Amino acid sequence: MSAILEIVHVTRRFAGLVAVNDVSFALNEGEILGVIGPNGAGKTTLVGLISGTLPPSSGDIVFKGRSVTSLPAFRRARLGIGRTFQIMRPFPGLSVLDNVAVGALFGYGRGTSDLEEARQKARRNLEFVGLSRFADHLADELGGPGRKRLELAKALAMEPKLLLCDEVMAGLNHVEIDEVIGIIRKVRDLGITILVIEHVIKAIKSLSDRLLVIHHGEKIADGIPDAVLSDKTVVEAYLGKRQA
Amino acid sequence: MDLLAQVFVNGILLGGLYAIMALGLALVWGVLNIVNLAHGAFIMLGAYLSWYLFKYLGIDPFLGLPITAIVMFGAGYAVQRGMLNLIVRAPMFNTLLVTFGLEVVLTYLAQLAFSADFRTINPSYAGSNIAIGPVVVPIVRLAAFGVAIVLAVIMWLFLLRTRLGRAIRATAQNLVAARLYGVEPRHLYATTFGIGIGLAGVAGGLYGTVSQINPYIGATLTAKCFAIAIIGGLENPLGVIVGGLVLGIIESLAILYIGATFGDVASFGVLVLVLIVRPSGLLGRTA
Amino acid sequence: MNSAIRIAIALLAVVVLAALPWFGSDVIVQFGISTLLLAVLAQGWNIIGGYTGYPSFGNSTFFGLGAYGVAVAMVQWNMPFWVGMVFGAAMAVCFAILLGLPVLRLKGHYFAIATLALAQVVAAIVSNIPLFGQNIGLVLPPLNNDAMFYELSLALLLMATLTVWWLTRSRFGFGLIAIRENEEGAAVMGVNTTLYKVMAFALSGLFSSLAGGIQAYWITFLDPASAFDISLNVKMIIMAVFGGPGTVLGPIVGAVVLSAVSEVLSSEVTNAAGLFFGIVVVAAVVLMPRGLADIVHHFRKSGWRYFVQNIRAHRI
Repeated sequence: MSAILEIVHVTRRFAGLVAVNDVSFALNEGEILGVIGPNGAGKTTLVGLISGTLPPSSGDIVFKGRSVTSLPAFRRARLGIGRTFQIMRPFPGLSVLDNVAVGALFGYGRGTSDLEEARQKARRNLEFVGLSRFADHLADELGGPGRKRLELAKALAMEPKLLLCDEVMAGLNHVEIDEVIGIIRKVRDLGITILVIEHVIKAIKSLSDRLLVIHHGEKIADGIPDAVLSDKTVVEAYLGKRQA
Repeated sequence: MDLLAQVFVNGILLGGLYAIMALGLALVWGVLNIVNLAHGAFIMLGAYLSWYLFKYLGIDPFLGLPITAIVMFGAGYAVQRGMLNLIVRAPMFNTLLVTFGLEVVLTYLAQLAFSADFRTINPSYAGSNIAIGPVVVPIVRLAAFGVAIVLAVIMWLFLLRTRLGRAIRATAQNLVAARLYGVEPRHLYATTFGIGIGLAGVAGGLYGTVSQINPYIGATLTAKCFAIAIIGGLENPLGVIVGGLVLGIIESLAILYIGATFGDVASFGVLVLVLIVRPSGLLGRTA
Repeated sequence: MNSAIRIAIALLAVVVLAALPWFGSDVIVQFGISTLLLAVLAQGWNIIGGYTGYPSFGNSTFFGLGAYGVAVAMVQWNMPFWVGMVFGAAMAVCFAILLGLPVLRLKGHYFAIATLALAQVVAAIVSNIPLFGQNIGLVLPPLNNDAMFYELSLALLLMATLTVWWLTRSRFGFGLIAIRENEEGAAVMGVNTTLYKVMAFALSGLFSSLAGGIQAYWITFLDPASAFDISLNVKMIIMAVFGGPGTVLGPIVGAVVLSAVSEVLSSEVTNAAGLFFGIVVVAAVVLMPRGLADIVHHFRKSGWRYFVQNIRAHRI
């Protein structure tokens, strides 16, 4: 297994606050890596750093053997990094179908320039996430669970090599969570490497090949889920706090 | 050197007046997220109100300011309650257009009511000066400056110390936060806009004592208020004072060194530069 | 309605409009020219404001640069009209690229205000350049051929409209719409937002400047106050927003309706045209914030309740 993504001593400071502090890890091709941590641990910041919406204060981000640290977000998208947003922000005035078509028009290697082809592809992606019957609705009309799926469909239409999922399960009920887990497994079967950020531990435990725990911006554990979740520091920092 | 000192004093006195003009705009912008393109038109109306009070009732322009403030507060309250409350949640561009429409209507009506003639408010002490060394300070300008500073400080204390002020500041973060303070949001909005317009009215009254007024002064004044709000930030009335002083001094210097036609250009140039260098304003966070 | 019938209707409309100078009176043709030019401006604004979501107050600057391009070329250099058009368009496009890069980083109000301020700065600079005739202005050689100006304006509007139509079915246009709807979301999906915004600004500037060039030659006089008139910018915005920003035909409909009404008003009640404009803007934004185009879609469904629904959606 070779690493598709390497995070090398990455730090991100905001005014007076270190959101991500000297974090290093690698993501292997075809793997599902779960990242957990309490609220405000720096998980979403991490996604921003990898997708390029936030520049790191220091450190290096290497994607497919090439440093992408100084590349803007759209260049990283063209190299094959796709992401969803925790705060779901579709293109509200566009139809669900066209929301996804944007991903096909741009995305990996610039996508297609043919609108009809992009819409065809978008239809397939909507079917993949189970949103076909909403294709002609405005994205604004979707409810929370629908928007989570739309986020996934948009990112998938980009044909990413690496998919960053930022809390795609938050706010969903058990049935919906199981469905999303099913979708993410199917995505992995397509050969796409996945980084899942979550704070619902149960869901992520069954899904991930490996777990990474972030606390106060620092990596405190990294390993197979069972080992990580029984790790003393993790229990104290994360579970302990939540139970208290 | 004396000339430079004089220019600086002129700039600072002018800047105080600018600050009070921009204070209301910054308040409305920061709290309601409405950029009020009619702000200058309200300043113009305040100036005419002061002028009428002075001309026909013989009320001293400075003593008449509370009346102007109260009347303009009422007008602002009504405009927000009756019109702007209908569109506060519309895209920002729509609010921009509505206030622009309001500006056009107010300017047109002012032209009908007051004619296009230039007016000035000339109390008996209008020509008096104080000399401090080589620098001449016109009394009216000094008084206008003083009123502006006092009002800004009062505003600052009001926002910081009173319950209503805190409710207004909370609303800047979250539109319906007023409810947490037991204030009806529609009322709070209208009150905030009323305060903004009341301040514009006072600024107009002061402007009328130091400069000529006609129905068309509004647009330029709105633009200057923008520049000041951007330089000073929207959070703190004291920042707006700094913004006003900066703009006043820059304008005075530009008029001296580049030429009279460049006074306004200088302020717009500074505005563009500030926006480009620091999109969130020079002082602190802007909304 | 299938697309063949649509195209046939569109072609017929263009032919009828093109034939107007042969059966319309002089007054009608003149009204036609000014309306067509306003429609071009509204359509140009539509590209940056309606599709990309950047409410530019700098488009009157493009108009002014285009007008000065023609005036300077013809008066100062004795060059033909078309050279002036190219010169003016080149100035406008350069301006859009050079200033668009920093200014298009600003969002919302800040962008609007920055372009507004820039417009004032450019006007002041131009009025101090001798080549541009300073404050006195330039007088162009008169050409008494309104039919030609009319056809030229119509052709320009056609070009602008075809461009906007292309936006609705091209990758470029989808990129712009994505930027309008959610800029960060567009960037992570691979849209080169900076490049797209600057290109939209330049395209918008190109059409505005060509309209300015035609206007200058038609009116035969140009000074900074008329060339860089900020209220012209407001007018084009109002027309686009009234008709429906982000739609292909909305800005044209807005320009025609508002020009016609204000023409009638200014001949009936002198001076009320300005007041009328103000009132229309307020009423239009409150009652139909998405323009006439949106009414066409929704009015049949909800009738008069459409207006109430709009107010409900945006008030507190």
